[in-house]
Amino acid sequence: MDIRKIKKLIELLEESGVAEIEIKEGEESVRIARQSPTGMHTVQMMAPNYQAVPAMAPQAAAPAAAPAPAGKAQPAAAAGEHLVTAPMVGTYYSSPSPGAKQFIEIGDSVEAGQVLCIIEAMKMMNQIESEVSGSVRAILVKNGEPVEFGQPLFIIE
Amino acid sequence: MSRVAPLVQRVLGALADGGVHSGQQLAARARVSRSAVWKAVGALRDMGVTISATPHRGYQLAAPFLPLAVAPIEAQLTAEVRARRRHLDVAWSLESTNDSLLARGAPPSGEFDLQLAEHQSAGRGRRARPWFAPPGGALCLSLGWSFATLPREAPSLSLAVGVCVLRALASFTSAPVQLKWPNDLYAQGRKLGGILIELQAESAGPAFVVIGIGINCELGAGLSRRVLKSGTTPVDLATLGLHPIDRNQLAAALTRELVRGLLQFTDRGLAAFAAEWRAADALAGLVVNVDTPGGRVVGHARGIDAEGALCVQGVTGLQRFTTAEVSVRAQK
Repeated sequence: MDIRKIKKLIELLEESGVAEIEIKEGEESVRIARQSPTGMHTVQMMAPNYQAVPAMAPQAAAPAAAPAPAGKAQPAAAAGEHLVTAPMVGTYYSSPSPGAKQFIEIGDSVEAGQVLCIIEAMKMMNQIESEVSGSVRAILVKNGEPVEFGQPLFIIE
Repeated sequence: MSRVAPLVQRVLGALADGGVHSGQQLAARARVSRSAVWKAVGALRDMGVTISATPHRGYQLAAPFLPLAVAPIEAQLTAEVRARRRHLDVAWSLESTNDSLLARGAPPSGEFDLQLAEHQSAGRGRRARPWFAPPGGALCLSLGWSFATLPREAPSLSLAVGVCVLRALASFTSAPVQLKWPNDLYAQGRKLGGILIELQAESAGPAFVVIGIGINCELGAGLSRRVLKSGTTPVDLATLGLHPIDRNQLAAALTRELVRGLLQFTDRGLAAFAAEWRAADALAGLVVNVDTPGGRVVGHARGIDAEGALCVQGVTGLQRFTTAEVSVRAQK
């Protein structure tokens, strides 16, 4: 996989508050996990039932304990989570028109078939719909950014 | 929501022949009071219909009104195209013909839905910019279609549809109509129409497209001013010598060319349209501003590549764009 793509994925992970991303491209796959204490803290807050929580929680009880590397934990984006990817190259829009309310925000609950965003290429507006019902765990792109074919956009859980 | 009362439609129908009609006459024809006629005339003017009023004589349309109707459109489709229609409807007023078809959902592969409206209360273009069209003076047409799988080169459909519209217009006028990348319709350097394609698709899955086409037929002075105020200089088919134009005939021609073009695009992609697109390129060689979310690039427009991306020769070399707002730079 292209090193620039991996770099981009790391940036996305850092911006998003997601613990781990796994991307498959044909036979290749890459899994990137967050290790910083702040990142862990986010995971802890967003997924209270997460198995690894007891290992991270000691921040209060035993501050000296080194956080366990997240990479050793179960993949956070696996069970019960759905990764929405871009079906075409284009520009990502988070709202139907400039200045309008965003289609979705983190924490929103969405229905299957609900429009999550628009991707535009050559004045063709692709309404990306959710394939599943759930809540928006992460938005991995910013309004106006170019997206590549297959690039992860959202995590719905 | 705010559906336009059919009264307005009846009053327009009573004025349709283009003659002078007194308020009393119109009231009798539309079976309403004279004050209701007066209100309806006001509402029609708000929609962009040009109606003159002469004291003691009455009201008159600037141009006769030939209503859009299902039967004449169907009659002018070829049997092969007619057999593919799932839904074909003409509405008096809708929020937007595209929204109406998107809500209807994808037709089966190989079939199409067609929606026309005399008036759109929320007509729109790219990024929800307003689209103005007066009842009787424009064509607002949307066609829904399904692809079994989303072609990787799907965005170039935008350019292919522009060529389909040129093919349809060619049977009505020999006036040159050009395409401003990716698919705005231009004549005499002014905007004749626009295309907005909306798509619901998953990666490598089925794709549902709704193609919305707006063409200015006879805008009238009032509406032209409104469009001008919004930052676009419009032109209409009447200015190109097509007056009056039978919009049902135009709708049928567009439908025929769209269905033919969509089948061609499925087989051959942009290659089936590229030569015609290049021959109609309104920007070729001109100095253009290319505005993208990432900033502005200035350069000479150098046509399109095989994927339909706009090529621009700037100071840093040749760049290609798939999403951009392009405008011709004023020459000094």
